[in-house]
Amino acid sequence: MDKKNEIVKSEGKNIEKARGLQEVAPAVDIFESENEIMLYADMPGVVKENLSVNIDKGILSLSGVRKLQTKKTATWEEFGNVNYVRSFSVPPTIDVGRVEAELKDGVLRLHMTKSEQAKPKKIEIKTA
Amino acid sequence: MFRRLGDMDSLFGNINLLRDRLNSLYSDYDRPLAYDDIWGTEESMPRISLYEDGNNFEIMAEVPGLPKEDIHVKIQGNYLEISGTRKSDAPKGYRILKSERGSVSFSRSMTLPADVDSSKVSASLKNGILYLTLPRAESSKVKTITVN
Repeated sequence: MDKKNEIVKSEGKNIEKARGLQEVAPAVDIFESENEIMLYADMPGVVKENLSVNIDKGILSLSGVRKLQTKKTATWEEFGNVNYVRSFSVPPTIDVGRVEAELKDGVLRLHMTKSEQAKPKKIEIKTA
Repeated sequence: MFRRLGDMDSLFGNINLLRDRLNSLYSDYDRPLAYDDIWGTEESMPRISLYEDGNNFEIMAEVPGLPKEDIHVKIQGNYLEISGTRKSDAPKGYRILKSERGSVSFSRSMTLPADVDSSKVSASLKNGILYLTLPRAESSKVKTITVN
């Protein structure tokens, strides 16, 4: 296999490199409690197979490709196939191994649990 | 090596975006607002697309996070109205760090290019997109006339 083929192949595999797609930032809500950080992102039309959530070096990146299918002629089109892309910095207190993601009705919900040592602790004062 | 190539590509992402915008300047002209207004997207919710062939109209609307009970569709002749309420799904006892999604009531109405048979309209909700299939009324269907 020569190098030229390799480039072509790797582009096809890589979800975030899908070309010709408009990149859009999804609207997000972020909530925090003592135990976890939650992130909700609107990604209507994105199916689980076309969504990737990565955390690497403190950066959380979301990428979801929407592929709408219709064989009819467009008369009026306000949305089409897009790539929802957005990245966030995550604090080091997040336990990366315990991040949970759920996609339902076009909304991605991420639960990021804080690691045990990052939780606030109340320190008891002893009387002498 | 190729990994670095990808990094370069993302570095020049903005220039690519500008180039794409310029390329699509003419084709975008007179098109309805799509994603140009990133900050105003929630105001115009839901975005609607209309497709058609000879017999049917097909409507798609973006309604992320809405259960089917909260979406109402009204049809009369060639008038279509989609309304609904998006309730807040914010969990209790959490501090809000960012809130862009909002909970809104919305209503959008449009006049379809032709009358539809409202008794045969079907609607489905999938992955946060509402799909409506509206068959044209008999009177407005395309008729082929054979020449004798």
